[in-house]
Amino acid sequence: MHEASIAQAIVQTVLTHAEEQGAEAVKSVEIELGELSFLNDEQVAFWMKLGFEDTVANDAEVTFHRIAAEIKCASCSYQGELKVKEDPFYHMKLPSFSCPECGSADIEITRGKGAVVRNIKIIKK
Amino acid sequence: MDKNADKKDLEVNVPVEEDVFSRNDRTADENFKMLEKHNVYAIDILGSVGSGKTTLVQNLVRHLKGVYRITAIAGDLTTSIDADRIQQEGAPVVQINTGQECHLDAAMIRKVLTTLDLENQDLIFIENVGNLICPSAFQVGAHQRVVVVSTTEGPYMVVKHPHTFMGASVLVVNKIDLAEAMEVDLDQLKKDALHIKPDLKVVFTNGRSGEGIPEFIQALNLPKK
Repeated sequence: MHEASIAQAIVQTVLTHAEEQGAEAVKSVEIELGELSFLNDEQVAFWMKLGFEDTVANDAEVTFHRIAAEIKCASCSYQGELKVKEDPFYHMKLPSFSCPECGSADIEITRGKGAVVRNIKIIKK
Repeated sequence: MDKNADKKDLEVNVPVEEDVFSRNDRTADENFKMLEKHNVYAIDILGSVGSGKTTLVQNLVRHLKGVYRITAIAGDLTTSIDADRIQQEGAPVVQINTGQECHLDAAMIRKVLTTLDLENQDLIFIENVGNLICPSAFQVGAHQRVVVVSTTEGPYMVVKHPHTFMGASVLVVNKIDLAEAMEVDLDQLKKDALHIKPDLKVVFTNGRSGEGIPEFIQALNLPKK
């Protein structure tokens, strides 16, 4: 998809926070990728590495956490994980956008869409 | 003194908790509220280059301009070819040339919305950049999303882009007059789409002749005038 532009936004977010905190170096970065962000962490990591080059985050260790999707159903008030079917044809897990309890399509995705910079570890100047 | 031990004391954990998509999502929400406030209904139209998005928008304008006050927003990397074509149908068009960006985002749409007289507006058609992949991740604040695929793109357009259809409300299968020549099975395209999103509305059109346009308009379920 557009891992490059997302990685660029992550790099900017990390560097802004690092600068605000007066970092001499960024030691590590923790990132959460939602299952429904459809982002590939290896590609995001590749572009981040390029973005961090020659900055205070040059040697930062990047960790990714995969976040499962959660929904809220407007019909039966179910709250929890989205039903995901392993689909060999698609070579991926295909989320089913209906309530696993009552089957209603009137659902709201409450978790798993984002690409979140959770925290960074820095060394102060 | 151990220099590293010294450094260790200065190591600080900084909570960030920032979603890089959230900035776009927030702007999209604001766009949606802005449209709602003025009773304007917006439709985001996605599809590959050459799938027939502009021809379909021309058809929509032709059918609906007597009832609704319409503006079209045409996104393209470059040129105003699409905008000129829609304008010929008698609707004002705002051109967004994205330069290199492969999608329209909420901030670009916001910029356009602030230049429009929303009080004297009923419908906005947003023709996204010709690309079936990237625009799907960027909400623009429209009421619904339409995806266009055409038979000349071959039989696998739906199955190869599952993400794009998950956020859509209507799938338009265009250029149905060429299905046979292209050996594309229209029923199969529909089945593929419903496998991904069971409540997707699927309509079949020929943008050139206008066949299927009334069904397309019905599927949009536009607010009554």
